[in-house]
Amino acid sequence: MSRKSTATRSQEYSESIINTVREPLIALDQDLRVVSVSRSFYEVFKVNPEETVGQLIYDLGNKQWDIPKLRELLETILPQRATFDNYEVEHDFATIGRRIMLLNARQIQRVLGKERIILLAIEDITERREIEIGLEKARKELEVTKISEDEAREYAESIINTVRESLIALDQDLRVVSVSRSFYEVFKVNPKETVGQLIYDLGNKQWNIPKLRELLETILPQEATFDNYEVEHDFTTIGRRIMLLNARQIQRVLGKERIILLAIEDITERRQIEDGLKKAHEELKELATELRRTARVKSEFLANMSHELRTPLNSINGFSEVLYDETFGPLNEKQKKYVNNVLTSGKHLLLLINQILDMAKLEAGKMKLALSSLPMKSLLNEISLLVADMVSKKKIEMLLAIAEDLPNIEADELKVKEIIYNLLSNAVKFTPEGGKIGMRAKKADSEIEVVVWDTGVGIAPENMEKIFEGFFRVDTPYSRVTEGTGLGLPLSKKLVELHGGKFSVESKGLNSGTSVRFTLPIVSRKVV
Amino acid sequence: MRKKALIVDDNGSNLMLEKDLLEVAGFEVFEAENAADGIAMVRREKPDIIIMDVRLPDMRGSVAATILRQDKETRDIPIVFVTASVMAEGMEEIRNITNAGFIGKPINTRTFAKEISQFIK
Repeated sequence: MSRKSTATRSQEYSESIINTVREPLIALDQDLRVVSVSRSFYEVFKVNPEETVGQLIYDLGNKQWDIPKLRELLETILPQRATFDNYEVEHDFATIGRRIMLLNARQIQRVLGKERIILLAIEDITERREIEIGLEKARKELEVTKISEDEAREYAESIINTVRESLIALDQDLRVVSVSRSFYEVFKVNPKETVGQLIYDLGNKQWNIPKLRELLETILPQEATFDNYEVEHDFTTIGRRIMLLNARQIQRVLGKERIILLAIEDITERRQIEDGLKKAHEELKELATELRRTARVKSEFLANMSHELRTPLNSINGFSEVLYDETFGPLNEKQKKYVNNVLTSGKHLLLLINQILDMAKLEAGKMKLALSSLPMKSLLNEISLLVADMVSKKKIEMLLAIAEDLPNIEADELKVKEIIYNLLSNAVKFTPEGGKIGMRAKKADSEIEVVVWDTGVGIAPENMEKIFEGFFRVDTPYSRVTEGTGLGLPLSKKLVELHGGKFSVESKGLNSGTSVRFTLPIVSRKVV
Repeated sequence: MRKKALIVDDNGSNLMLEKDLLEVAGFEVFEAENAADGIAMVRREKPDIIIMDVRLPDMRGSVAATILRQDKETRDIPIVFVTASVMAEGMEEIRNITNAGFIGKPINTRTFAKEISQFIK
């Protein structure tokens, strides 16, 4: 009885321990039947005493506890070792879901008797494991972050070293943290005397620049970023430099320090080029002014020349005309012929003066067009009549092919007449007796196209360029030197181009004839 | 009654040519070789027409014309500028003179007198 009561007391005691500890505890007999269970066991595993005590552990909670790893522990490991710590079992319970448990097993001898009791402490570490996994994940993430911070720094430094621009990174005390390779190259300093130094002290205090101090100490603390701050400074090592500074104040990834990134662009050469360009531009302006002055002088000279030449010509042509007309009495045949020669030469001289003036005006861009609507069909016929005399005298055949639908064009009448007369008279002049000349005219899109052709002396390929130079004339038995000025063709070309047309000369060579083709827009593109 | 014409030109030859042509055409011709003489002659003779060079030794023909236009007596006498200054710059200075004409040198002797007559109202 007393044995019994001692045992009972002892059992009560151990049960009170079992019930006090927060950890679920289960006591099994040697047949693995539940002897006793802690209150927290019921709470954690949602079972009640009636379906627990006396049950085989595996059968607990509708056989939820039939866990292979538990069997292994209880049936294989424990009989050999008597005690086992931190045996981890993960199991999916029907009532409470997936749980990770840490089992601590003790096989103990009952105080009296030979039976053994197995004490199983079950620690539900599911939450803890979750926290641990979370922590691990966080740690790993932290590691990744750390790596990426390192990488970022490495990346940043590789950028610093890659850019051609000089970069300098300063800490908040304006000491050099890092410097690009080009900085060393450009400013002739070495890493040893650079990193860790106050920026102003770099290169034997060469960097103690008032404007730089202003930027770093006054402007940057307020602005955080600053672009194109120009600093000019006389460096003892590399001479006077003009630098463009771009500054960024950035927060380090971790920590609260700030870093100042300073990009230094040496624009000395660029500025020199700019200054050179400015100077060149000014010289060009002066030159343009000079050219304008020269042009004005030339224009005045031409006006004077024109006036001075016309005044005596007025007498030469006027008196010879009066004499030729026998206004004040008859001349004999020889006198009349001579005075006619004077008159012809005088008129030729006048033509020359007029053409030279026109060329000068065209070249100076001063020739103005007086536009009107020209009935081209009748105009072409009219001009052809002006050369009809010369044509019949030389026994030349003139063929006209003027399209019926040739439209009126908007152009300067006198100048168009001059062009056509020049070309037709050239054709007559340079075509031997018995030859042919002709004119074709047709509408071509928004233009009219006129071709004046002849079967005359033609133009040798080597002279094709020269005919537009002025005063170039092909000497032939058919053309007397006094007959032309050598300005008709270049003048006609310029007049056509002034109207916005095209002008071209073709010849298959000497004695193969010539054909001059030009176009004139139907509606003038010139703004008058 | 014969029309009176005054020719103002410092070039003797041109003066003679124009005088001959106008006389042949029936004009009574007066001559002056500078602007001052020309203006005096205009005031004295009241010609029907004035033929004037632009470049005169003492002043521009255009200036002389302006003087004549300010005088009630001479204001309406037509002036024909016969000038060798045929370029645009030369035309500009005579553009604003009222009742005036222009003939470029060298003149056409066959039409000169007729052209001059047309300026007389």
